[in-house]
Formats: sequence, C-alpha cells, structure tokens
Amino acid sequence: MSLHPDVRLNLARSNLLLIDDNEQALEVLASIFRGFGVHRQVKCGSAADAQGVLRSREIDLIVCDTVMPDMDGYSFVRWLRREGPDEARFAPVIMLTGHAARSTIESSRDCGANFIVSKPFTPEVLLQRIYWVAKDERSMVRSDTYVGPDRRFRNTGPPLGVKGRRKDDLSAHIGTAKDPNMDQDEIDNLLKPQRAAL
Amino acid sequence: MSDAEIFKVRNRLANHVSEPGGMTAGMAGSRAARELAAQQGKSYEAIGEALETLEWLCQDKAAPMDSVYDLSTTVLDIAGLFDDKQLCRAAYSLCELADKLRTRDAVDWAAIKVHVNGMRLIWNTPEAAREGLNAMVEGLWSLTEHLSIDDSEAEAPAA
Repeated sequence: MSLHPDVRLNLARSNLLLIDDNEQALEVLASIFRGFGVHRQVKCGSAADAQGVLRSREIDLIVCDTVMPDMDGYSFVRWLRREGPDEARFAPVIMLTGHAARSTIESSRDCGANFIVSKPFTPEVLLQRIYWVAKDERSMVRSDTYVGPDRRFRNTGPPLGVKGRRKDDLSAHIGTAKDPNMDQDEIDNLLKPQRAAL
Repeated sequence: MSDAEIFKVRNRLANHVSEPGGMTAGMAGSRAARELAAQQGKSYEAIGEALETLEWLCQDKAAPMDSVYDLSTTVLDIAGLFDDKQLCRAAYSLCELADKLRTRDAVDWAAIKVHVNGMRLIWNTPEAAREGLNAMVEGLWSLTEHLSIDDSEAEAPAA
C-alpha cells in the first residue's frame, strides 16, 4: 500500500536531518530524499553529531537509524523528547529499523518516535510515512515514563487520499449524508424479524 | 507519579508539505527510484565487503558475536533500502542468531557459516532466479528458531 500517485506534496522547503552510522546507507537515504525533492538535508553519522546539529539548526523532520554505536536511535529520540533543544524537542521522527534486538524491544516502544519503518521498504512506503507524519494530528504526551506522540489511537480511518489496509477501512472524510434520514417506521421495518425461505 | 500532560505542538512539516508547488507522489516515487538505481553499484559493493568479512570471521572463529551482529545489520541496513527481501530475511535471521548467541554468551560458528553461505548464494543469484531460494531462506529461519528452543530449555528452572 502506498500513497495515491496523484497526491501532491511539497518537501522543497523542509529541513531534514538524516542519522545513520553506515556511510553507504546514509548516502542511499539521502538520494531517496533528493528524489522526493528534499534539498535541505543534513547528514549525521552519529547521534552525537545530530545532537550538535539540533542545537544550531531548525529541523522539520528527523529520519534516524536504530542500530548505532555509542548512542542508538532509541536513546537519541528519548534524549530529544526529554532534553532536546526547545525548537526541536517535538520534531517528527521516523525511525528506520533493521533488526530489533531483544535488549531494545522495550526502548523502541517507549522512545517517542512518530513512526517506525521496518526494512526492507520501498521509497513509496517511506513517502507515505512522511505524508502520514505531516498529517499526524496527534497530541504530545509528557509523563514520568513517556514523552512523545499520544499512542492512544482512535480509528478515524486512513488519511484522505490513502487506501486503507483493512477491507472495512473508510477515510474519515466521508462527506455529508446525501439521502434524508430514515423515519422510525423504516427503521422498525428493517429490524422486524422476517420469514426466511431455507 | 505526576499526571500526564497532553498538549498540541506546531508541525512545520505539515505547513511545508501543503505549500503550492512540489510534485505528485507518483513523480516523487519515480525520481527516488532513479536516484536509488544510481546508488546501487556502490551499495552492492559495500554489501559484498561485509559478506567477505563475515566469511573471514567464519574461518577465523575468534571474533565476538557483536562483530557478527554488526556486519549482519550492515547487510540488512543497505539491502533494506533496496527492498531486497530475500537478502534481508537471511540477514535478519543471522542478526537474530548472533543476538541470541551473544545474550547467552555462546558461539555457534557452524550455524553462522550456514547463514553466510546462504547470503552469498542469494547475493550471487540474479534477481529473476531467486524464487528458487525461498526454501533455503526458510531453512535459515528454522535453524535460528531451533536455537531459540534450546534457549527456552536453557532458561527453564531446574526440576
């Protein structure tokens, strides 16, 4: 499932921060985002470098690998949400995950990222997650144990222009009713037991 | 414990995305695919280097499991950006294996070698002919799962 090809989005003025300790993976990621039209990119090979960038630049979206030496992606997002610079503290974060090691499962759930995308993925899937993050209207939650987007999802269906994964998914934007309301007799008639021919 | 605080924040990305101009998702996908294709050669070289190092580690049999884990995540990280499902599944199985082994402070070079050979086979097989390797990849997963059975037995309390 991916975005409808006709959905239009403009990423030309977005400031992107990419974090991955693998130099080649970082290059590939940057090229995907170039394809999406993101010209303002800052690439960091470590979470420590990224911390420095966030203190000095305005960032609109952070895309971060999970497995990194010293400070991993989860710890970085935990730092960002709790101690990050005010301007960047609640910036949207998409985590890219390869393998979920046993020791990191809990931290991945609680780190406070907006979305986690599992590898392998296609550019279309990544673009869809960016769109979702941009349209994400969830509030932020700050508590003793968690800081990040509200994880209590209300099912309002997939975003406008996106086909849902479930067969009964309906977009929240279904429009106003066209037919007049049914009167009570019609409703009663619908609920009345009927003789069925078997 | 204090009460949770719930609040709205300004999402600058949302403002940018909705600005006039830009491109359609279809166009962005095609452009990204072209950019990816340009990166494929260098990326596959990097995967090849990681596989070579893993093969050498299997011969040497002295490296810590952390090294095996790091190299298998390297393969997974790069192959994952190219949507290389089979290589990713094989690399994920090796990550899982190395992670379990290091958690138990154990080594199993035979199982690691089977994985590395499997990854090399996938690597050397053209994309169109890879469907025949599905059973082999499932075999790698069985091997890693078998180790988790041993793991649960090991953790069972003594009678």
